Amino acid sequence: MESAIQLKALTKRFGSFTAVDAVDLDVRRGEIFGFLGPNGSGKTTTIRMLCGVIAPTSGQATVLGHDAIKDPEAVRRRIGYMSQKFSLFEDLTVDENLRFYAGVYDLTDEKFAARREYILRMADLVGREGELTANLSVGWKQRLALGCATIHEPELIFLDEPTSGVDPTARRHFWELLYELADSGVTLFVTTHYMDEAAHCSRLAFIYNGRLAACGTPGEIRALMTETVLEVDVDDAEAALLALERVSEIREAYMSGAVLHVNVGASSPASVVELLAAAGVTVRGIEVVDPTIEDVFVHLVTQQRAAGETLAATAPEAVAVPNPPVSGSPDA
Amino acid sequence: MSIKHIRLLIWKEFLQLRRDRLLLPLIFIGPIMQLIMFGYVVGSDVTNIPTAIVDQDMTMTSRALADSFVNTGYFTILERPATESDVQTLMDKNRVQVALLIPPGLEADLARGEQVPVEIIVDGADSKTASVASGYAAQVFADFNQKRIEATGLVPDAPGIDARVRVLFNPTLRSVNAMIPGLVATILLISMGVVMSQAIVRERERGTLEQMFVTPITRGEYLLGKIAPYILLAIIQVSVVMVVGIFWFRVPFHGTLLVIGLGLLLFLFTVIGQSMFISMISRTRQQAQQATMFILIPTMVLSGFIFPLESMPPEIVPVTYFIPLRYALVILRTSFMKGAGLEALWPQFAAMAVFSALILGLALSRFQKRLSD
Repeated sequence: MESAIQLKALTKRFGSFTAVDAVDLDVRRGEIFGFLGPNGSGKTTTIRMLCGVIAPTSGQATVLGHDAIKDPEAVRRRIGYMSQKFSLFEDLTVDENLRFYAGVYDLTDEKFAARREYILRMADLVGREGELTANLSVGWKQRLALGCATIHEPELIFLDEPTSGVDPTARRHFWELLYELADSGVTLFVTTHYMDEAAHCSRLAFIYNGRLAACGTPGEIRALMTETVLEVDVDDAEAALLALERVSEIREAYMSGAVLHVNVGASSPASVVELLAAAGVTVRGIEVVDPTIEDVFVHLVTQQRAAGETLAATAPEAVAVPNPPVSGSPDA
Repeated sequence: MSIKHIRLLIWKEFLQLRRDRLLLPLIFIGPIMQLIMFGYVVGSDVTNIPTAIVDQDMTMTSRALADSFVNTGYFTILERPATESDVQTLMDKNRVQVALLIPPGLEADLARGEQVPVEIIVDGADSKTASVASGYAAQVFADFNQKRIEATGLVPDAPGIDARVRVLFNPTLRSVNAMIPGLVATILLISMGVVMSQAIVRERERGTLEQMFVTPITRGEYLLGKIAPYILLAIIQVSVVMVVGIFWFRVPFHGTLLVIGLGLLLFLFTVIGQSMFISMISRTRQQAQQATMFILIPTMVLSGFIFPLESMPPEIVPVTYFIPLRYALVILRTSFMKGAGLEALWPQFAAMAVFSALILGLALSRFQKRLSD
């Protein structure tokens, strides 16, 4: 099957800083492709190159069969784009926003009437057409933004952190809409730093410091982790983390929701219990779990960071310490 | 370039303007306020100057002279001290700005046909009031003498009070005549400058600018759709200011609409370029506002709009050549008052054309760079 997106050694440098470093990627049609990574890792820069907004320093980007660098206009007509800011005109009404985007994509009046009705129903905004967008709450804004971005029924939609700042219920509702779109054959390219959302994707890529660190189905990603991961429930998580960080054998320890995830590395589960007891931390529960996608990415970040530190003497790091991936909310 | 897209963007811009609580008043109330402010306050008459009269003659004639001061409406008699030495104290306290000293024996001396020194003391601290007050005073004396001559039929050998001093100009009229044409350009600068930079920064703040460039809307369409509404508004504003100036403030209009229109258009380009540039270097609307103010104040002071260029220190004058408003003011004022055409004003037109090309070019390259970074 033809690729929706094909990247070959895509690179973007801003001065001496390499935002995107030789990324190869192949996104198939009809898949929900998750593009993950901490803030500032190059996700948005990649999308902007794919939409033809900025030119890459080197490499190739083919989007829906068009060269995104040479023919961005052709690409833009066939894609939808929704950013974390939602990019609605807040001082226009719901209807005016729809009308505007219909005009942007040169929809005919009949087509617009049909799409308008569909989007209003999809976004649960029937009867609120005349309301100012500024007065809508976040969940509605988000669905209206999706409606505006898909008003021309694009074959490929870029969603840049579309769920950031949205409550869990609205996020779930939103993902249901994304599934519907994918079922109708639309390709979705989603960036997020919510690790729990990664599980919703058919395939994932993880980008860190501009470089592709891993790519595959959620199952393949999980299989990258060969070390043992413990889920530990303690009374004093802070003290526990401090105690664990001092031990070099333990690879990673971090909060995942309300519990700790510990990659024991060369150490053993028994020694973790001993260590925590010595630090005066009460362990309420401990078990070996299947590594989550979050565990894998924390692991990848740790590895890359360690590699980066050895390099730091020769190449100054342009990005400050990036935020660790945000753990998923328990109900999502 | 699609006309439909540009029309769509203009429609959207007007919808947004209609709902903006900050920009709309700025566009429509701003010019009216500025007209009132500059037409009446800055360029207005000096009236009700607090005045003291030291009448040491106390005769019919001295009272008549004092009354003729009051009757002009320019002077308000607040104090009647007995001696000249009290005047200094009154001026020190800012109680009066002008004092009229009528010496003893005024009536008798005038009757004998002698020249009588009547002294006017003016507080020079406020130079504008001082010069206006002495002008008025000279006129009062002239009128007074004239009436006396008519009443008595006497033609004295020595002029009673020198009647040759005539105030031929009316300071009021003159400043408004220069003020209103200048105001046409200044209002354009203030309201368009602020409004346009705000409109672009707002879109950047909200991410809608970023959104536009992943749609089939091209950069050219976007810019035209952004600029066109403001050119339309500018035309309305300028027309209002000119109509009010000509019909309400009775500023004589000797120029041609072609010269004025062309001058204003070139000036508008510099304003648009400046606002675009500001909106590209500002991250928030407040920053844009501050940057606009930062440029606006030196522009107003150094362009010759309020203070004449002739009165500026020679070191400052070269700076004024870099202010586009300077050229716009010359074009508008000379065209309005003297009807000057392109043949006389071409250096100003050339300067403005160069400036608008430079500023617009800079803004556009900044716009391109901003979006591709």
